[in-house]
Amino acid sequence: MKSDQPLNGSDQLMRGFDFESRRHGFAGNQCQIILELAAKISPATLSARVAARQTEFPILLARLGGLFRPRWKICDRTKKTVPVRTHRDAPGLRQKLLNEPLDLRRGSLIRFDLIERADGLMDVVFTWTHMLMDATAAEHFLTAVSDDKISLPRTNPQPPGAPAKWPERLDLMKKSVAQLDKFCEQQPRALKTRHAGAPRALQYRVEKFTAAETKAVRANGARLCGILGDAQFHAVAAALELHRLHQKLGAATRSYILPMPVGLRPKGRIEPLFSNQVDMLMLQFLPEQLAAADTAAAALKAQTASALRESSLSYGRQLSEIFSFLPLPVYMAVLKHGLKGEVCSLFFGDTAAVNPKLENFLGVAVNDFTHIAAVTPSPGLGVIYHYFRGELRVSIVHAQTVLNESEAADFAAALRHRLLNP
Amino acid sequence: MIQPSEIEAELLAFLRCDIFSPATSLTAETDLVGAGFDSMSLVKTLLHLETKYGRWIPESEITNEALANVTALAATAARILNEK
Repeated sequence: MKSDQPLNGSDQLMRGFDFESRRHGFAGNQCQIILELAAKISPATLSARVAARQTEFPILLARLGGLFRPRWKICDRTKKTVPVRTHRDAPGLRQKLLNEPLDLRRGSLIRFDLIERADGLMDVVFTWTHMLMDATAAEHFLTAVSDDKISLPRTNPQPPGAPAKWPERLDLMKKSVAQLDKFCEQQPRALKTRHAGAPRALQYRVEKFTAAETKAVRANGARLCGILGDAQFHAVAAALELHRLHQKLGAATRSYILPMPVGLRPKGRIEPLFSNQVDMLMLQFLPEQLAAADTAAAALKAQTASALRESSLSYGRQLSEIFSFLPLPVYMAVLKHGLKGEVCSLFFGDTAAVNPKLENFLGVAVNDFTHIAAVTPSPGLGVIYHYFRGELRVSIVHAQTVLNESEAADFAAALRHRLLNP
Repeated sequence: MIQPSEIEAELLAFLRCDIFSPATSLTAETDLVGAGFDSMSLVKTLLHLETKYGRWIPESEITNEALANVTALAATAARILNEK
């Protein structure tokens, strides 16, 4: 039996970033969750669990189709299977897996890689294309792979509140264009290719914070951004360090654009699972606002309240949805045209606390957990925050064409210091 | 004078409709943060109170205690809204 599921505006945006990434020779817009297990698991057991979920959710092997409206073409009688591969640990293996593209044309939307470590332990690397689902959904999916008693929602309804009427969509689109025009009055300039000879590949590093350090970072967040202000403080710290990086590299810009993802699912709801349920809060920081943490926090808070007051949170999503009928090169050109050629100045993500059910995977304790997301070659830099067992983790992803290892290490160390000493 | 009970009822209706899923059985005593209430939820809630009662409650007034549950949040809001 065949069925279709249209891509929403957020999915389409992720598809556009996938195109942009591949166009420049990178692997695409794919994310990873890495589980460091306390013991080995059986590849056969994992394969069986994944196969069961694949039967339940045939969208996992869907193909992209639709001439004027992109959609997943789902066939529940496919003979394809989700790959589950096993590797011996080796230097560079994790980077290789991060940069190995998924074959979307053949319906390869997710894959699992098991890494047998020299110390006898095992890592699970789950890779998925971002246009299929967001990080929150990916965590839910993994819990269901881990525990076959967990039931995931079968239906995939859209959340309430999404504007459906064309006049409302067009109005939001016009406001989006006006907002970007206003941003461009202080034109952003993202980091460009600075190491042309470097591999067209992404590299990542993870800054781990102890429980005591996490407590200190949270206290700093509460002091600067108020109660529940963790994610806002994380964004402020990233913006401050991005400014410092630009200054250090002599990459002048009149402002920085940081898209802050905001979850759309009502609290307590999992579905829709195989769909990105995220809007982008587009934040602009001027260099003078990044002179100190408190002025940066004030700028962020003012823009957040203003965006919610004016409903501008969903501008970009509506713009993306309306233009989704365009061929991808034209679609991306339209999106980039909005910011005069830029995608943004920094990719930012904050997935908050990891689903506690993922403290175990297939009955084995998970020692550590990492979220990684791809970045487009410009700006070529992204920062993703999450908490695992109450401890902060910050993944810093960079394109090797934009930053070399030394520059990326310096940025990561400075960001760590900033979080502890804003 | 706005009564805390009035704000509590208003908040419960708003949170059930705009923040939490219908599957969440939200009561006046539910631990808000434990149920997933985050910074965006807080700003949306403060904006709702501003629209309803005509006054912005500064985020600096919102403490851990104020977010313990809807009753505590309503009491905090009532105290500030009733200040001259």
